[in-house]
Order: sequence, then structure tokens, then C-alpha cells
Amino acid sequence: MMLNSAQAVSDVTKEVGNAIELQGIKKHFYDKDENIIQVIKDITLEIKNKEFISIVGPSGCGKSTMFNIIAGLMQPTEGKVKVLGEDIVSSTGHVGYMMQKDLLFPWRTIIENVSLGLEVKGMTKKEREDIALDYLAKYGLADFAHAYPSTLSGGMRQRVALIRTLAMDPEIILLDEPFSALDYQTRLVLEEEILGILRDFGKTAVLITHDIGEAIAMSDRIAVMTQRPTCVKKIYDVGLAVELGSGMKARADHRYNDFFENIWADLDIQIGRDS
Amino acid sequence: MEMVQIEKVSKDSVNKAKKKLSPFIIHNLSRLGIIITLLAVWELAAFLKWINPFLLGSPSGIWDETVRLIQSGQLYTDMFATVYGTILGFVIGSLLGSAIGLLLWYSKTLATIIDPFVVALNGLPKIALAPMIIIWFGSGMFSKIILASIATFIVALLSAYQGTHQIDSNLVNLMKSLGSSKGQIFKKVVIPSSLPWIISAFRLNIGFALIAVIGGEFISSDKGLGRMIFVAGNLFNLNVVWVGVLSLMAVAIILYVIVSKMENRLIPWEDSKRQKEN
Ligand SMILES: Nc1ncnc2c1ncn2[C@@H]1O[C@H](COP(=O)(O)OP(=O)(O)OP(=O)(O)O)[C@@H](O)[C@H]1O
Ligand SMILES: [Mg+2]
Repeated sequence: MMLNSAQAVSDVTKEVGNAIELQGIKKHFYDKDENIIQVIKDITLEIKNKEFISIVGPSGCGKSTMFNIIAGLMQPTEGKVKVLGEDIVSSTGHVGYMMQKDLLFPWRTIIENVSLGLEVKGMTKKEREDIALDYLAKYGLADFAHAYPSTLSGGMRQRVALIRTLAMDPEIILLDEPFSALDYQTRLVLEEEILGILRDFGKTAVLITHDIGEAIAMSDRIAVMTQRPTCVKKIYDVGLAVELGSGMKARADHRYNDFFENIWADLDIQIGRDS
Repeated sequence: MEMVQIEKVSKDSVNKAKKKLSPFIIHNLSRLGIIITLLAVWELAAFLKWINPFLLGSPSGIWDETVRLIQSGQLYTDMFATVYGTILGFVIGSLLGSAIGLLLWYSKTLATIIDPFVVALNGLPKIALAPMIIIWFGSGMFSKIILASIATFIVALLSAYQGTHQIDSNLVNLMKSLGSSKGQIFKKVVIPSSLPWIISAFRLNIGFALIAVIGGEFISSDKGLGRMIFVAGNLFNLNVVWVGVLSLMAVAIILYVIVSKMENRLIPWEDSKRQKEN
């Protein structure tokens, strides 16, 4: 059943070619005094099926807002969003969204947190706990399966949130700074893991990160955003990880530094303007 | 990893044993000492007529009455009546109130409409309703249960409703992004995240239920600790009044402890949070 429906969805996306299409997206909020806060000026972006794209941009420019719109949690003020070829009205569960905060449910044990999405899908307890345990074992968290989140470190919690997103087996994965609370080594290991999973299962991934190196090491493309109100400033075609087979090799490649300098320059100007 | 855990556990239990034993004994011995001294002074004062035992009672008199009331079965009957009415009223009022408070999460309109009524009822000392309730439902157990239910209902409702307002909207968003229905969000986010508020109302409510039942028994009843105290007071039988008051104290403590134990059961995650903070 599960496989069939996933198959059906990917057939649709093959025809369309784009996993996500943002057309002329604008978004503003109102503050307490009813003043308009323009957050997204205009984003038009096509994210191809099975692509890995990273979004880098200054803090507070509207990256998480863009994710909320793609996930169907927020309506854009103007513009059109298509996910897997369909207009998005509300969330469907096809998009796995790992939010910026490691949002674990404090009243659920780790294994219950990981199996949350599967529970919503209506899987039986046995099925979902088997899947969750597999993932937990793989990421060295099996010992903590029955602990409550409050007893885990920040890095561990972030890993649990990541596992929860992966365990859902979504077509598209949105990762909002998923590695920010991890130490450098774990980060590198997890980057490789994620790349492996995405490659093996043919997923589309969008990653928000402040770490330019991470974006270069993992992405097919990188979109650099401007200061708020934001739009796409530049798109880089990278693809080192796919070409060379791993993020590690991408980091060692001579083109890595060129990308780094260019992207840094793009961002640097904006930080300069900010202060 | 396992090694570390085992080491931690054994260390904890050693610490506990070391820390707990000596202060535990010292504290309780001191408490016992205070009580014995107090009783001895009281008894002596009554015996030597420094105080009027007719107006204050005396430990030996209280003891005699306790034995008499236990042997006649009256203490048991009265205590049972009070405890039964309290627990039943508490359970009915708290559960019904919590359920309705939670369900108001579904409809903001309904919540807004009934808000002033709830506030008005909440401000009213529920015991003022006792004469009416007793006229309508008689002076038996039933009216006491109703009284205790009313006394606990509003507190439970308000508390649960407040709980639904403290929900982390990010958790709701996360549930939505997983494609869940409103019912699923209610069950998996609204209820558990309001539970600490509901439980804290329980702790207040067990006291409110007891007050309501005792108050009702004062006004009109055929049994209960409240009636025992009230009748003995009218007869200036102070020793019996003391038996009633002390039994009531014991009942209150036991009920409170039971509800607190329930708290650890129902919200274990709060417990592990506390343990980590310690
Ligand atoms: N619901 C909201 N109401 C009002 N303002 C909002 C709301 N959500 C976001 N904003 C504002 O929109 C701007 C962009 O927020 P957003 O979280 O998208 O930034 P970001 O790029 O993800 O930043 P960071 O890199 O720090 O995570 C911020 O100034 C924020 O205050
Ligand atoms: Mg953000």
C-alpha cells in the first residue's frame, strides 16, 4: 500500500519535473501597532525533483517563513506554491519538515516522538515502533528509546527530530538548520548520512543553513538570499557532492574555496549594509 | 554507555541511603518529641485544672472518646460518609470540568460566549449554594456529592481551559505539517500539554471538595465528620469535637497524598524534568 502510493506520487513528479515551484511569492506580517512588516519581497524558485538545494541568507531575512509557506502552515500574501505539481492549500504529509527548534513532545518518550508521524498516518504500534527502533539504533540512540526528551542533550534532541522527519519517509524534506546544535564531527557524519539516504531513496531536499561550507559540501544548488524583505539574490550550481561521491571529498576539492569566497562575498556585503 | 549508567545508578542509591537515613530519623524523632511534650503539658494542665477541660478537652478524654466511637462504629460510619462524598464529588466535578474545559479548545466562539458566566460562578463561594442544594436534593449523601461536584467543577474547567491556551503553537504546526486532523491534534497535543494544569487543579479540588462536604454536613445531614463536629460542638462535648477534627485532618492528608501520587503517575515527564534539574 505504502509503496504503491509513494510510487504514484513519484510518477506524478516525474512528469512535472519540479518538486516545488514558488511563483512570485510575497509575504508580509503586521506587528502589534498594525505596521506592515515586509518579509518576503518576491521569491520565484523552482526546485527540481530529487535535487538537493541549500538556502543561505542573513539572519531574520525570511528563510523559515518561506519553509512555513512550502509546508502549507502559512499562506503567502501573494503568489503561487506548487508542491509535487499540486497547489498547496494545507499540509499533506508529503513534505517532511524539520523545524528550526528541535520540537520534541516533552510528554512522549524518544521512541514515541520518532514514531509520531507514523502514528498520524495510522500505522499500528508494532509497525511504527519497529521502524523507529531501527532508526534509533542506526543513530546510536537506542539506549534512550524510552527516556523523555528533557533528559537528552541538545545535540541528541536535534538528532531525534531529524530521525522523526526521516522516519516519515516523505517525498520532500525541508531541513531548517538541522545540525546547528551538533558538534563538528557529528555534523560531518550526519551530513554524509543524509546525503546517502537522499541518494538511495531519491528524495528532494531543501536545507537552510548558516554554514556556507556545509551548503557547498552537500548541495546541487545554493540559493543566496538578500536581507529582509528578501528575494533570491543568486543561485550557484555546485553539485560537488554528487560528482565526487561524498561531502568530504567536496570539501577537499579546489572549487570548494572558490564557491566559499563568492558566497561569502554575497553575504558579506549584506551584513555590512545591516550594521 | 551502559557502564556509565550503571555507575550513576549505584552512586545515586548510595547517596540516597547515606543522605536519607540520618536526617530522616532525626526529623521524625524531633517531631514525635514535640507532639508528646505538647500532649503531656496539655494533659497535666487539664489534670491540675490550670485550664478548663470542659472548654478545651484533654488528651485522655479525647482518647476515651476515640475508643468509644470506634467501638460503637460511629467514627467509621461518619468518616466513610465524608470520604465517600468527597471522593465522588471530586471525581465527578473534576473530570466533567476538565473535559468541558478541554473541549472549549475546539470552539473559540463558544468559549467567548460562556466566559462571563464561568467567571461569575467562579467568584461565588460555592458553600452559599448549600441550603438550596439541600432543599432540592435532601440532607443525605446525594446533596453532598452534588455540592462537592459544583465546588470542583468550575476550578477544573477554568484550569483545563487555561491549559489549552499555554500550548506551544509550534507543536500544533508540527502536527499540521505531518498532515494530522484537528482530532489528532486535540488528542496528541492539547490533552497532554494541558495535563499539568488539570492536575494542579486536582490538588486544589480535593481540598475544595472536602470543604463543600463538611459545609453541607454542618447545615443538614444524618452522618459525616462535619455532622459529628457540629453536633458535639452544640453539646459542648469538646473531646468529641477533637476526635472529629483530628479524623478530618487525617482524611485530608491521606486524600492529598493520593492525589499527589496520581500526579507522578499521570505526568511522568514532569518528574524526569525535575530529576534532571536536581
Ligand atoms: N508570525 C509572524 N508574525 C510577525 N512577524 C513574523 C512572523 N513570523 C516571522 N516574522 C518576522 O519575519 C522575519 C523573518 O523571520 P524568519 O523566521 O523567516 O527568518 P529566518 O530567515 O528564518 O531567520 P533565522 O536565520 O534567524 O532563522 C523576522 O523579522 C520575524 O520577526
Ligand atoms: Mg529561521
